[in-house]
Amino acid sequence: MHYDRHMSWLTDILSQSGDALIARFATWGRTLRFGMVTLAGIFSPALYNSATRTVVQKQIYFTAWQILFGFGLFAALFSLILVRIASTAAQKYGLGDFALELILRVLVIELLPLMTALFVALRSGAAINAEVALMNITNEIKALEGVGIDALRLEFLPRVIGGVVSVLALTALASLCALLIAYLDLYGLQAYSLADFSRVVGQVFTPLLLFGLWLKCMLFGLAVTVIPIAAGLDSPHKLFFAPIAVLSGMVRLFFVLMLIEVGSLTITYL
Amino acid sequence: MARPPLPPHLIKHLGLKVGLLVGATAFIAVIFLIYTLFARGLFEPTRSITLIADDVGNVAIGMPLNFSGFPIGEVKHITLTDQGQGRVEIEVPTKHLHWLRSTSVFTLQKSLVGGAKIRVYSTDLKAPPLAPNATPELYTGDISEEIPVLVARAKALLDNLERMTHEGSSLDQSLDHGRTVLGRMAGDYGVLEGMLGSADKAKKVVDAIDRSNKLLASLNGLSLKMDQRVFGQNGVMDQTDQAMQQVNAALQQTRASLKKADAILANAKEASGDLVRLRAEIDDSVNKVNGLIDELNRKWPFAREVEMKLP
Repeated sequence: MHYDRHMSWLTDILSQSGDALIARFATWGRTLRFGMVTLAGIFSPALYNSATRTVVQKQIYFTAWQILFGFGLFAALFSLILVRIASTAAQKYGLGDFALELILRVLVIELLPLMTALFVALRSGAAINAEVALMNITNEIKALEGVGIDALRLEFLPRVIGGVVSVLALTALASLCALLIAYLDLYGLQAYSLADFSRVVGQVFTPLLLFGLWLKCMLFGLAVTVIPIAAGLDSPHKLFFAPIAVLSGMVRLFFVLMLIEVGSLTITYL
Repeated sequence: MARPPLPPHLIKHLGLKVGLLVGATAFIAVIFLIYTLFARGLFEPTRSITLIADDVGNVAIGMPLNFSGFPIGEVKHITLTDQGQGRVEIEVPTKHLHWLRSTSVFTLQKSLVGGAKIRVYSTDLKAPPLAPNATPELYTGDISEEIPVLVARAKALLDNLERMTHEGSSLDQSLDHGRTVLGRMAGDYGVLEGMLGSADKAKKVVDAIDRSNKLLASLNGLSLKMDQRVFGQNGVMDQTDQAMQQVNAALQQTRASLKKADAILANAKEASGDLVRLRAEIDDSVNKVNGLIDELNRKWPFAREVEMKLP
């Protein structure tokens, strides 16, 4: 009798933690499956019509254009500070020749794309997460499906495309800004050192690395839109679950961003 | 909770703005790709030069070849030759080739901090250009290898220095002694006191010198008197001169006496010739006496004593 009680307690614990584990894996599995469906959808020509184009344009407008000035200013300031730190430290140790390479590798290749992704995640990812969660809770998606509109095609895929393009655009502009600032800081306002600058840039940015950089930025863009949408779709149909859906979606998003970053670092340097 | 749909016309120039942004991004991407390809020298005619080095340990692909501080080439390949040497292939754009001459010297310099550097020195820019199939040597000078030797020697030197300067060392003692000597030199008797060790001894020396001076003064008087006595009228020298004359006369007399002695000796020589004959006669007489005695002995048989003593 005593033994049975103990056993049932152990069985409860195991089944509870097992359920939690399965639930967690199931969440990740659903996110991954949604990601796959999205990727497949992006490459289907049927997606691209005037209705989805407008949604894509709006998404890009809200995600990238609206914050362009503020983000540009922030990226410039951030770049300036990091460039100054790198160049001062390198020159102090007598390694001034390596300052530019350090700046390119740390700032342009690693920090700016990650920072852009985090910026977009905070501003648009959270918004998308909340919006989709609310749509899910208010059964709007089901209503759309009821009248024969594919929510994935009309609502979600344009957001994903818009998010990816926004991250790419913001990263490209921020990187250009950082390159200009690095040149001006290291060589001053003159064009004679362009050959020296170009040599280091050419040495660092091999075609393969450029391809990898764009791929990483695309993955960042996918993550900041796909994960919030999946988290929003995953929320139970209760209004008070909406904040929880946003919270868990954002945590998952940050985790994935770090995973992509660490993965890219591993591939580049190991 | 239906969301109010946002008509496109509420955002002014939505298509233009988004098109601008996407266009700019694509433009940046393409231009940057072309720029990096240009920067990597993809569209530039280059020539590969091969350097041979004993040790290519710190050479990395992409490392620049510096001429007067300017990068004029880039390391593309590093391989091993059949002889076990390092082979470094460097791509040099043809526009920079004129800096490389047949007399150019290539060096690989490893520094303590930072990467190694490949440098080329062309002192004679009028020398013939580097031949296309030439394989110049890459000289490796590694300052970090000499540092341990340098440190060991510096350490030995410092040890010696320490031994020389520590408390109670010979240098220390010498300096102490020097100080003592200098202190004495500063006393009443100056250098003399320093040399002799104390004021008393120095005083003695000074006294001795004083006495010597007095002695010299009296010696001076003495020598004047001696001069008078020895070299003056009827002085020792005059008398000596006279004595010498007398000796000379005595010697002449002696010479005459010796001549007489010579004559006597000549007579004696003649006399000694007679002596030889006399001696022969005596020998003859003695022989005769001997014979007589022998005769007597034979004729005197009873005689117990056969021996006869001759005077």
